[in-house]
Formats: sequence, structure tokens, C-alpha cells
Amino acid sequence: MTSMDEMKAIVDAAVDFAEDKTEGIIVRGTLGKESQVRFSQNSIDISKRWHEMKLEMFIILKGAQSGFAERSVTNADEAKQAVEDGIAFIKHLPESLFFAGVEEKVSKYKPVPDLVDPRFDDFTEKAPQFVNKAIEAAIDEGAVRVAGALAFGRQERYLRSSYGPSGESVATIFDLNVRAFQDELDYSGQGLTCGTKPTSAEKEMVEAGAKAGRLSKQASSAVQGEPGKYDLVLSPTVAANVLGFVPGAANPFMVLIGLSPLGDRMGQTIAPEGVSVWDDPTMPQGLGSRSFDFEGTPARKTTIVDGGVLKGFIHNTTTARMFETESTGSSGAAGLGSGVKMLLPVSSNIVFNQGDHSLDELLETNRPTIYVTCNWYMRFQNYQTGEFSTIPRDAMFLIENGEMKPIKNLRISDNVMRMFANIDAMGRDRTQVYWWEVSTPTFIPTVRVKDCRMSAATQ
Amino acid sequence: MNDPHDLAEYCVEFGRGLGAIYVEARYERKVGRGLAYRNGEPVSGGISPLSGIGVRLLVDGNIGFASFDRIEKNLAEEAITAAFKMAKNSRRKEPIDLGEPVANEGKWSVDVKQSLSDVDIDTIMDFAKQMNEQMNGLAQYTMMINPTVTDKFLVTSEGTKLTGHLEHIFMFTLLTAAGDTGSEQKFLDLTRCGGWEQVRETRVVEVLGEEVNRLKRSATQAKAVKELLERPIDIMVGPEVAGIISHENVGHPSEGDRIMGREGAQAGESFWRDLTLGESRVGSDAVTVCEDPTIPNTGGFYLYDDEGVKARKRTLIKNGIINEPLLNREFGVRFGRESNGAARASAFNREPIIRMANTFFEPGDHSFEELVEDVKLGIFMRSFQEWNIDDRRYQSKYTGSEAYLIKDGELTETMVKRPVLETTSVGMLSAVDAVSRDLRFDFPGTCGKSDPMQGVPVYAGGGDVRFRGIRLGGVG
Repeated sequence: MTSMDEMKAIVDAAVDFAEDKTEGIIVRGTLGKESQVRFSQNSIDISKRWHEMKLEMFIILKGAQSGFAERSVTNADEAKQAVEDGIAFIKHLPESLFFAGVEEKVSKYKPVPDLVDPRFDDFTEKAPQFVNKAIEAAIDEGAVRVAGALAFGRQERYLRSSYGPSGESVATIFDLNVRAFQDELDYSGQGLTCGTKPTSAEKEMVEAGAKAGRLSKQASSAVQGEPGKYDLVLSPTVAANVLGFVPGAANPFMVLIGLSPLGDRMGQTIAPEGVSVWDDPTMPQGLGSRSFDFEGTPARKTTIVDGGVLKGFIHNTTTARMFETESTGSSGAAGLGSGVKMLLPVSSNIVFNQGDHSLDELLETNRPTIYVTCNWYMRFQNYQTGEFSTIPRDAMFLIENGEMKPIKNLRISDNVMRMFANIDAMGRDRTQVYWWEVSTPTFIPTVRVKDCRMSAATQ
Repeated sequence: MNDPHDLAEYCVEFGRGLGAIYVEARYERKVGRGLAYRNGEPVSGGISPLSGIGVRLLVDGNIGFASFDRIEKNLAEEAITAAFKMAKNSRRKEPIDLGEPVANEGKWSVDVKQSLSDVDIDTIMDFAKQMNEQMNGLAQYTMMINPTVTDKFLVTSEGTKLTGHLEHIFMFTLLTAAGDTGSEQKFLDLTRCGGWEQVRETRVVEVLGEEVNRLKRSATQAKAVKELLERPIDIMVGPEVAGIISHENVGHPSEGDRIMGREGAQAGESFWRDLTLGESRVGSDAVTVCEDPTIPNTGGFYLYDDEGVKARKRTLIKNGIINEPLLNREFGVRFGRESNGAARASAFNREPIIRMANTFFEPGDHSFEELVEDVKLGIFMRSFQEWNIDDRRYQSKYTGSEAYLIKDGELTETMVKRPVLETTSVGMLSAVDAVSRDLRFDFPGTCGKSDPMQGVPVYAGGGDVRFRGIRLGGVG
């Protein structure tokens, strides 16, 4: 079995081999061992195990003539062959208009705390027990049927750039998604938890199951909601997906290809004064945390929104030079379809400020208000202007006379910039969200948003 | 052991030795090359020959899956042993049964005249230049072209031994047109399946040019037409919108694993759960929706699925009645039927699960003009941009990208801005009164499902479909 030392030797062989054949090369080796337990109808459906060791190589042949090669390798000879193949492909490419250099400064990296579970190896055989406890907790709270997935893994990485930087990292991760149902299809609830130390997360996993069960019970007898204008109280899960889109779009490449509404908003007020957001790769237990980026630039916290004002974008060396600023240590190997990666700024953890309201306080209102606990399928009509819709799924409640009345079958059909500007209050329950619909780990509390538009089927 | 086929066969033997009653090993090698352009200029290129073996094993009624990306015997043994132990600890109350043994042997391939492996990068860049020229004049445009060749080898403990060969030219564009009425955006997938001859035979350059011109017109001319919001109207949709409806409102709810709850926490369940196959009506008599992986040179093409079952056409809805779910071996048993060859895995490191391939409204016997001439007030929605559907596949929304006013039996030049078709599946399918005879697969796409996410290429389409008496939705 390959060890970190063996992987380092393979990465070094690739970099050394490329030395006199290219202008420069960055090689990142990843040695991963990941597992997942999936379950539905209260039983485990499948247990999975993945082993991988791959090299991602950014090759700068000459000037801006550059490109990516990615391959799984077993030994130094295969790594050298991967370099040869990459060069043979890239030599046909014209110069990229989106390359203006990489990090050349050698830095010492500060480790991010709490990224490794020292007892991780014990977890594989325990995982099914943890899953069964989460299922039981959901049933104890009133669920009839329980489904979900527990994923966990350990990833070792070694980066070496021919320009000087090099570094290594180890991280462990887990995420659990529990969804509970009554007999009916549409009385359901969800519980999530994620982090870096699965062996000490039994309590959180059981609570995720219990929460899913509780919500599915509370959603029983939900009735058709009325379309119209409401204040929405968004759980962290929903807020991460809908409101998290805005800081996630603070990326110059997204602006340049038309996928961001922030292109001409720098320095403008886009949210109330009480809203601040950062891209922060230094968050303890953050699933997107790291000490350095793909170029070897040290990770650092970047302010995106400060007191409601759009203050910054994330950058790598290329975009920083294009926009005459400094890299924020956000360089990543972003996928652009089958076979293509690109050196681009990539979000790490999106972090919203903590608010000061309890959930009860957020729900105390005389205005027409709906509490949305989960959503999926967010799609845009226009990314530049922000028109979108998404579907609440699982428990949703109309708040009326201090009571939570379960409702169903409504759709949030609004504008994401308008909703961001209409943030009304933030909870003090900030939590890390990462699941199917939220692929960038997002730390965010429950958020109340004024005057949102809800639509429904016409027939 | 350096030969991946030999190692796959060893994996079967090793899994059986551990005590699994069924073992399948699938070696897959996917060689992709790709180019990315922004506003006509190259921004990135790359290659990614990714390969490995995925092993699925049935242990005391529990399923385990292991995958590894290096052809190493020790690694295979470690991964399979870990999956075996985890599966054994799962202790399902109801054991999984894969049904009658399947033992198919042979080779299959998509039709290819000029293999993508033989096309040099200069040829691909010349083609990209022609494509970029079609998008000239848009405010912004991004394009990815990824010719990809996939080879599979499947071997099982029941005697299946199959090799398969696929070639896809994945092509994806993001278009932004700016005009007098604001900007309009469109994700346009132009993926083709087969050899390099497909770009010529399917007129992909011309198709892109036509799409771009229509998007520019939409950004310049589309406007709200008040009378369309005042009462129910007739709505006609072209094969692109018919395709997404057949995929989302019919194909997904027909998936057997969703009906039985296995996707509950991810892609969701299905409103078909509470219906009866062969009896429950979900649409009008005019609605027949089928699924067929065997159509040559389509995005979802295959002749044997990833469990080794021979592919065939499936009729999901027959004259408005739900008829047949999509099934793999496990859910074939649970439905008291047998697999209809719907098991697909997106890569070597993913388990085969129930997926669509090519989904479509069966064509009817009307011409497009005949459908239009019966409409007093309505719209023709040729394409869409924003869409979504709930996870039971019952509440859907499609927002038009290119739509025209139909008045007094005439298709007018008046472009309607972003009409919203927001209905239930049954409400919408019950309103169909006719389908045109022009079957086209105008919606190539990547269908996402499962956790970890599996994106697989699919096609969707139909004839033009006419809905009677639907009130437009949205927020006005």
C-alpha cells in the first residue's frame, strides 16, 4: 500500500522529470481512502470503500501555453509518462488568455487546528453502528421510515511546485444526512451533521437522526400553502444554499463567464449592516479548510462582505494580476467538464457572521411568515440579474398566531440579490452546512428574509 | 498482475473466497481530452485518462462496493476486504436478492466511423474555432469541448463477461445575450455520441448558430403579453421542452429505486409509489412516454447495462396509464418482475444504480402546423432555461427561454418573455391533447442522481406537444 513518503517520491519524480522540458510545473498528489454507508427504509443498503492515488499536474510549457493533466499512478515511471503525455497534449494548445503566472514565494504554512481525527482508523467498522443509532433516534421521535448516507474519509496530500513552494497536509472528514418520513411521501424532515472527527461525533449523529424524525412528525398533516409574499425564516441548510450563493459568486472567473451577479457591485451595499461574510480556509473543523492553495500560496481569511458592503473577491495569482490586487490564497484545480481542469479561484469555507437571535425570536412576528427547513433544486433564469427558484422540501411551516402550521407544495421564486438585501435578522445558531445541495462548506445561522415571493402549481 | 482484465477476474475470485455469494467486477477506462474557451479565446486544456476497477459483492443479503484506481493485487484485496466487512456488519433485516442469475457474454459498441482516438487536437481546435464564430456577437460565451472514449469490461461470478465501447463528444456552452429587454442566458448542451463524423452528420455548428440567433432575438424582442396571464391558454412545447418534461415528470418518477425509497435522502422518492402499474392514469390518452438505450448514437446509448443485462426499450406511460418502471436486478425482484436493463454507473468508482438513458414522448400523427391551427390563444415554448421539480417529481416549473405568441391559429413573430409552466405532473400530462409526428432529441443533458453524485449522459425529446387550458404560473 502506498504511503505518504512513497507518494512524495512519485510527485518529486514528476516535478524533477519536467524540469528541463517545461517552464514550470505544479504537481499535487492525493492519497485517499474514503467510505460511505447508505441507508433507506430503516436499513443499510450498501457499504462502499474507495481507494485512490492521483496526480493533478498544472504544466506551464512556455509563456501562457499551459494546461492540466490528471492521472492515477502507481510509481515514478507512470508519473513521468503522465508528464510526457501532458506535454505532448499542451504543446498543441495556444497560449491561454487566462494565465498570468503562479506563486513563486516559498512560505511556511500554519496548520489549521482540528482537521484530523487521531482515532479515524477505528471508525470503519463502527460506522454501521452509528448509522443504526441515528435511524433509531429518528424512529424514537416519531419517524416511520428513515433514509440517509454517512460518508467519511482520510485524505493525504503533497504539493510541489517547480517555482519553489511545497507542502503536505492530512485531513479527515465526515458528513451525515438523515431524512425521515411518515408513511406519506410528503411529511418528511431532515437532519445534518458534518465535521472532521467522526469518532467523537456520535452525539451529533444521533441528534441529526432525532431532528429528522421530529420534523417529519411535525410536518404531518401539512396542507397546501398559499402563494404570495412572505417573510421567510431560512434554516442554516436553506440559507447556505440560497444566500450562500452570493458570496460564492465573489469570484472573478464567475463574473467573466456570466455566472455572477456581483460584477459591477464592488463597494456597494448589498445587504444590511449586520451582515458580514468571509471566505475562510482557516476555520477549525472546516471541511474546506487548508493551509495552502494549489499554487502553494498560504491560506488566509478574505473579507467578501463587511457590514453589508461588498468588499472583496477571492483570487489566485492569475486573477490577482488581472485585477491588480493580491492573491487571497484561493487557487484550485476547478473541473470544467470531462477531462478539463483549470487553475481558478475556488471557495474554501464560506463563513457568515453569527447573529444574536434565538430561533423562537426569529419566529416571533406579526407578519406573514414561513419557516423553511430544507430545500433543493435551485436553478437560475439569469445568474447576472439573480432571478431563480428553488423548492422547499421536508418540513415547512406557516407561522400564525404564534403557532407553526405545517404546509407544503410551495416554491421560492425570487431574486437572490433582492433576498440578500432583505435579510432582516440572523440567529445565534451558526453551524457548518455541507450536503448534496451545498457543495462549498458554509458556516451560517438561521436567517430571516423579508418580503419573499412564493409560487405554486396552477393545476 | 498488470492486466486490468486479469485483475477484474481475480477480484471476482477473491470476493467469492471471502464468502460473498455474488461478485461483479467492472474495469473502466475513460480517456478524456478537453478544451475550454471564453468569448472565443482559449482559457484551458487538459487530458485525464482515468481508470480503475469497481467491485460489488453480495454478503449475507448485504451489498458492499469497493473501488480502486491502480491495477494492484494488494490494493484490490484491501479494498474488497474492507467493503466485505462493512457489508457484513450492515445486518439488513430484509436480505437483498438479485434474482435469477444473469450470464451474458459478448462485445458491444456505439457506431463509430472515425474514432475520437484518431482525431488530433488541431482538428478539434479547428472545429472549436467554427463553433466560437457562431457565438460571436453575444455579450458573453463560454464553451467546453471534451471528446471522451470509454472502454468497459464487466465480469461476474455468474458467468457474465462483456466488453463495451462508448465515444462521446461532450459539448457544453453558456450563452449570454444582451438586448433591449435585458439579458437572456442559456445553458446549451450539444453532446454527441459516436465518432468525429457526428459533428458533421448532426450539423452541430449550424445548430449552435441557429440557437445563438434565437437567443439574441429573445433578449431584444421578448415582452410580457398581458392577455396570456388573464385566463387558461393553450401551450405548445417543442422537442427540447417535451424532452425535459419526459425526463423529469415521467422518467424520474418511474425509477424503481425511488419508488421503493432507496433514494429517499438524496434524489427523493416518487409519486408513483401510491399508484398501480397498468391501472393508474397520470395523463391523457395522447401521452405515451418511452425510454430506450438502444437507439444508435444517442447520449444514453448502451446495449448491455452495468449489471450485464441486455438493454431494451421500456414503455413508461402507455396512453396515459403508468405501465413499466425502470428496474435493475435488485428492484426487478422487489417489483416481482425482472430487470429491464436500467443499471448504469457513471464511472468505475460508482455503484450501478437505476438510470434513464433516452426518454421521449412517442410521436403522434399531427404535423406542427396542424397543432398550431387549432389554438385560439396560446404560446409555443421552444426552449427553456430555469426549471425544477420536487423530489416526489410532482410539482414542476419550466420557464421559457424562447417562446412565441400563438393567436387565432397562427404562430406569430411576437416573442413572449419568460412564460412559466408551473404545474403538477398529473395536471400537466392530463392537459395533453396531441403530439406531433416529428420525433427529435433536442435535449442532450447530464442527469444527476445518487450520493456520491453520478452524472450520466442522456438524451430526451419527443414530438411537439400541445397542452390545452393551462394557466401560466410564476409570480406575474
